Amino acid sequence: MEGGDITLKARGIWKSFNGLTVLAGVSLSVRRGEVVAIVGPNGSGKTTLLRILAGLEAPDEGEVEARGVVKIVFQDNLLLPWKRLRENIALGLLYRRIPRREIARRVEWAARLLNFVEHLDKYPWEVSGGTARKAAIARVLVLDPDILLLDEPLAGLDVATRRSLMESLYNVAKREGKTVVVVDHNFEVVSEYSDRVYVLSHPPARIEAVIDLKSIPKSERLPALYRSLSSIASSRPQD
Amino acid sequence: MSRVAYNTLVTLARSFAGFTIGFAVAVGLGLLYTVSETTRGLVKALNTILQSISVLIWIVVFVMLFGVLSPLPPVLVAASVSLPIVLSSVVSGLESSSKRLAELAAVLEVPRSRYFLDFLLPSLAPSLAGASRAALGVALRISVVAEAFGASGGIGFMISNYYSLAEPEGVFGWGMLLVALMIALDKGVLEHLEVKASRWRVET
Repeated sequence: MEGGDITLKARGIWKSFNGLTVLAGVSLSVRRGEVVAIVGPNGSGKTTLLRILAGLEAPDEGEVEARGVVKIVFQDNLLLPWKRLRENIALGLLYRRIPRREIARRVEWAARLLNFVEHLDKYPWEVSGGTARKAAIARVLVLDPDILLLDEPLAGLDVATRRSLMESLYNVAKREGKTVVVVDHNFEVVSEYSDRVYVLSHPPARIEAVIDLKSIPKSERLPALYRSLSSIASSRPQD
Repeated sequence: MSRVAYNTLVTLARSFAGFTIGFAVAVGLGLLYTVSETTRGLVKALNTILQSISVLIWIVVFVMLFGVLSPLPPVLVAASVSLPIVLSSVVSGLESSSKRLAELAAVLEVPRSRYFLDFLLPSLAPSLAGASRAALGVALRISVVAEAFGASGGIGFMISNYYSLAEPEGVFGWGMLLVALMIALDKGVLEHLEVKASRWRVET
């Protein structure tokens, strides 16, 4: 994929841990305003790839090029339990000399966008997993990143919350022009709201397939994704 | 003010002052611990040394330095016994502090000093509250020993006085007062503070 609107590009990413190759030359590129999902078998290095894209890990080989600010939302939310959701979301703004009124405005904006404004004055341990996840996403959103990376944002959530969260992320990308990259196992919801899906193979992982979901009717998206995944399953290396 | 109230307040004030000094130094050393590998090693070594020093040595050294009439020895002895208790809690908390918390701070671009104050220190609050409860109890018990060695006023001073006069009723009475004070402080104040500080850990 070429073009001036590419905001995130990874070229030939290799990564090993203790001599075990996890990523073997993975390349991908994402356009502005796109929602892209990365799926693959367990242990295929999806989270490692996301951490490399976020700059938290250095690749052994290859390079990542990002146009704009990249922020990651961790799978375990990492909300500070001694602070209310409002304070958790404002955390990254407190150290940037932003006026209090502007901080409050941004927090409200993010909470409205993700539809949990009524929970802002609760502590993380007083809200559901879905609301906590939304707060973790909001905490990064208020920093106005150009590229938002999310590690398994739908894990542990019920069906309705998964759908509402993914719809919110879709709106973030389309209305706010953010680039959203999601790693998740929930193929049904992911296939419904993503523009493209990168399918990783078993480790040492490479890109097994890139499915352009926009060109596929909604009813055909999930079967297309499953076909791609089952071809990986059949090529699973023997233990 | 009655003699009982005066001497009780003197002992309490000295113990609290000593505990506060010990706590503040422990937190300061905790900040130093996060600066580099070298300072981490230094703080750990200092903690080991502090834990190895007998209370008797502290008492004798401070009484020799400041004199028997000075109010400082009981305060400094209380600080010296509180410090390693709180510091051990800070160090073990920092050692087990989540690498993920550091990653979150990196994502949010939190300055190092704020990371310690806003992230690490509050995350240590539950264990710090427990350690403070123990440290304050020890500070109170030990400061009366220092008062007995050399100080004017305080429960320890009164116990020592009655001992010199060979009046066991006085020793017993002031001793019972100290025990009652310890229990009241622990159950009436410190336990509640510890529960409050640990509230979110219990809920999460």
